[in-house]
Amino acid sequence: MALRTRESLIFESSVPGKIGMDLPKLDVPAATDTRPTHLKRNAFEALPSCSEVDVIRHFTRLSKWNFGLDDGMYPLGSCTMKHNPRLNEKTAALPGFTESHPMAQDIHVQGNLALMFTLQEWLKEITGLPAVTLHPSAGAAGELTGVMLMRAYHLSKGAHRRVILIPDSGHGTNPATAAMAGYDVVELPSREDGTISFEDVTDPSTGKIRKGFATLVAELGNEIAGAMITNPNTLGIFEYRIKEIADILHGIGALLYMDGANMNALVGTARPGDFGVDVMHLNLHKTFSTPHGGGGPGSGPVACIAALEPFLPRPVIVRETAKVGEGEVPKHAYRLDWDRPESMGKVHAFFGNFGIVVRAMTYCLSHGGDGLKAATLRAIVNANYIRKELTGVYHLEYDTPTLHEIVFDDSIQTKKGVSTLDIAKRLLEYGFHPPTIYFPLIVHGALMIEPTESESKQEMDAFIDAMKKIAQEADENPDILHQAPTTTVVRRLDETTAARKPILRWTKA
Amino acid sequence: MRYLPSAPSEDRALLDAIGVERAEDLLKGIPPELRLNRDLELPPQASELDVLRTMTALAAQNRRFTARFLGAGAYDHFVPTAVDMITSREEWFTAYTPYQPEVAQGTLQAIFEYQTLICDLTGLEVTNASMYDGATATVEAALMAVRQAKKKNTILISQGLHPHYQEVLCTNITPHEGLKLVQVALKDGVTDLDDLKAKLGPDVACVMVGYPNFLGCVEDLKAISDIVKPAGALLVSVTQEAMAFGWLEGPGKLGADMACGEAMSFGNYVNFGGPFLGFLAVKDAYKREIPGRLIGQTKDLDGQTGYVLTLASREQHIRRDKATSNICSNQALVALRANIYLQLAGPEGLKGIAEQNAAKAQYLRQRLLELPAFEAVYDQPFFNEFVLRYTGDVKAMQKACSDEGILAGLDLSPYATTLQGCTLWCATETTTRAQIEHLVEVLARIPSLG
Repeated sequence: MALRTRESLIFESSVPGKIGMDLPKLDVPAATDTRPTHLKRNAFEALPSCSEVDVIRHFTRLSKWNFGLDDGMYPLGSCTMKHNPRLNEKTAALPGFTESHPMAQDIHVQGNLALMFTLQEWLKEITGLPAVTLHPSAGAAGELTGVMLMRAYHLSKGAHRRVILIPDSGHGTNPATAAMAGYDVVELPSREDGTISFEDVTDPSTGKIRKGFATLVAELGNEIAGAMITNPNTLGIFEYRIKEIADILHGIGALLYMDGANMNALVGTARPGDFGVDVMHLNLHKTFSTPHGGGGPGSGPVACIAALEPFLPRPVIVRETAKVGEGEVPKHAYRLDWDRPESMGKVHAFFGNFGIVVRAMTYCLSHGGDGLKAATLRAIVNANYIRKELTGVYHLEYDTPTLHEIVFDDSIQTKKGVSTLDIAKRLLEYGFHPPTIYFPLIVHGALMIEPTESESKQEMDAFIDAMKKIAQEADENPDILHQAPTTTVVRRLDETTAARKPILRWTKA
Repeated sequence: MRYLPSAPSEDRALLDAIGVERAEDLLKGIPPELRLNRDLELPPQASELDVLRTMTALAAQNRRFTARFLGAGAYDHFVPTAVDMITSREEWFTAYTPYQPEVAQGTLQAIFEYQTLICDLTGLEVTNASMYDGATATVEAALMAVRQAKKKNTILISQGLHPHYQEVLCTNITPHEGLKLVQVALKDGVTDLDDLKAKLGPDVACVMVGYPNFLGCVEDLKAISDIVKPAGALLVSVTQEAMAFGWLEGPGKLGADMACGEAMSFGNYVNFGGPFLGFLAVKDAYKREIPGRLIGQTKDLDGQTGYVLTLASREQHIRRDKATSNICSNQALVALRANIYLQLAGPEGLKGIAEQNAAKAQYLRQRLLELPAFEAVYDQPFFNEFVLRYTGDVKAMQKACSDEGILAGLDLSPYATTLQGCTLWCATETTTRAQIEHLVEVLARIPSLG
């Protein structure tokens, strides 16, 4: 059966008089209108009138134009598109959770507090850091919370440090976050093996000298509040001098922030707290399997050392204790502690994306400590299998050992006029979601592949086969690639006009 | 482990192809002294049935109520079944951010429709694909106003803003040296216009006002706009209960330059406060300054209409430290729920629901005021929330209610000295007359102060 290739905007199929939702008859007297006339809602201009059937068909048809995780391999590097277990959806939908009110008294939400406390304990063990907050709503929100913790720490020591060091391979959210927290960003160059350079680096294209980590530390000294480092970095390479970097930073009173986007390579194999990290965020929507939802919601818990704990966003969850003889034992009772005089303040109206936290807890319980480590190892095996099979077919700029992801580029194919974009678009026709493209910025024409632990050998073999065929096509018939995709619901879209003359909503003709 | 595609023969084949003996050999990039050379001290893996039992037991430790009269930023509205059913399709909930538009037209067109609906509700021209929640949307609105106003450094916030929003605003504005947050007092439950005039100097970038505010009162945005505009500041409305847009005119039509707030009420559960749905809508003139993702309409190579992420040069992945915000992941699936909800409701449905909210809240207030222990506090129009003073012990009253399975209104005492003994009550379309009568009966039984 052929799917419809057109589905008009809902506004164009609206028929006044239709309705897709009804309510019980009003069982109290009608409202007395106390609104000043000018505050009364006038007509709506766009809100459509549809039956439930219309709306369900509309969204079902639209859904078929999306590529989801269950349609096939989704090897977006740095995004960790692992399987979204259905059990997680079921537990998050339990009415005991969904009905619980964020302004209810602690005694009425003991299940939520116990769950959040338990997940915090798991994340402490996984990161090797002694304090965790679950409040940040996404990775970038976690970064902001983490950097503001660093700021609060330095201020408590009476220091106004203005600089944050960020590698050129870092996610764009890192410098954007540092700026939002009021810091100046200074970039750290990468060396030829893809890791942070201690020494100065000469840019081959401009001939400009870029100062390395050691030089910047010597020159900026106590101006430096800290560094934000992704580990393993966006090339999938473990920053093997990370402990040394941490020691040097600590030596000048600065802190080390770790972007935990790539934690799927480390859960059960290495702990940031053990290699000198002071504060980091995790992405529950990456490492802990919660769905991406077409762009969100995510959740970005922050873990930190004891010295940063007093500054954590309030409220924090406290487990009550009971006196037994001389000592105290934990009780199965929890409360929210709002009395945190040194807290940086609140970062979310309530406690962050609680529904996502429920899913991540479910994932953790399913895996257990042994399953989490097994998942990490399998993710690393999968990435290295693809690396092995595609090396030579695609160019590998950095041949340092990699963990959970691998970054190729298009330099072999550009000789035939084929770009990374062409490769990505052709891959759509083979039934795969493309890898992350043109990131990290330090690899020209990057193709960043992260298969995750969820992919079977068969699925990866099919992907590898498609990538090899595309390389062959690039060599023999590059025009197929330039034209791709032709089998999708739309072909390549005019993004230039979209930005030049933006149409950002429907308006009545 | 049921989620891992592991079989001994294939595992071996993978390792052989790579050329290593064991998976652990691939950790050679991590210096041995930095590895975790022990097992995680966590419980072992568990079956689906066991995990479901554990999680069900946790959920059961939350107190469930048969009637709920608590709002204060998280509102109990009916969620039509279609919302849950549609969003449980994998094409919606498992997909990534629509960076490859040819295979994400579903998500992209849906967000374009969502943007259209938020603009319609707020009476403004441009909105983004969503923000985390009402509080962080308020932060982004303030930062945007300051960027827009260049040299002006003061943000005036009405004390009527949700106290949590005020605190989140403070957390995020504090790191910006030179920026000032100044509160404008309330008078009879709404922004004190004399205090506003007094504080509205040339340094003020924007004025942020609750609509309706935390105390449930409907501010006269038009009157406020008439004061703010001549002073050259921007007016930002902050709405913690977007269902009010079915009852009240869109802020943009009343002079607001930006409208932000919380739209969880459209198709979402209270869910202990998240995931919720922050929105931020602005006048067309500010579209290149708005943070977050924007979807635009365009054509493909064959001239067919399609949708793409656009104006990305504002965003962190392009502009890095010069971006308008660091936001990347947003609340897309929650926005989809709101979109489905609003399409099901339509103009008649939304007005009907809003009218029921107003009617139930008015009836609840009237019935409570018939009890000697309650006193009116403000004389202002309200939507589905209102403040009453309780002359007895608020905590004991709440306890009496919860003993009967009723979640009572919020104790406002911790929020301001002027609010001692005050309580904030909410009713929505889900509240029944029988629930209200039961509440009244329970309250009437509490021994009076005598």
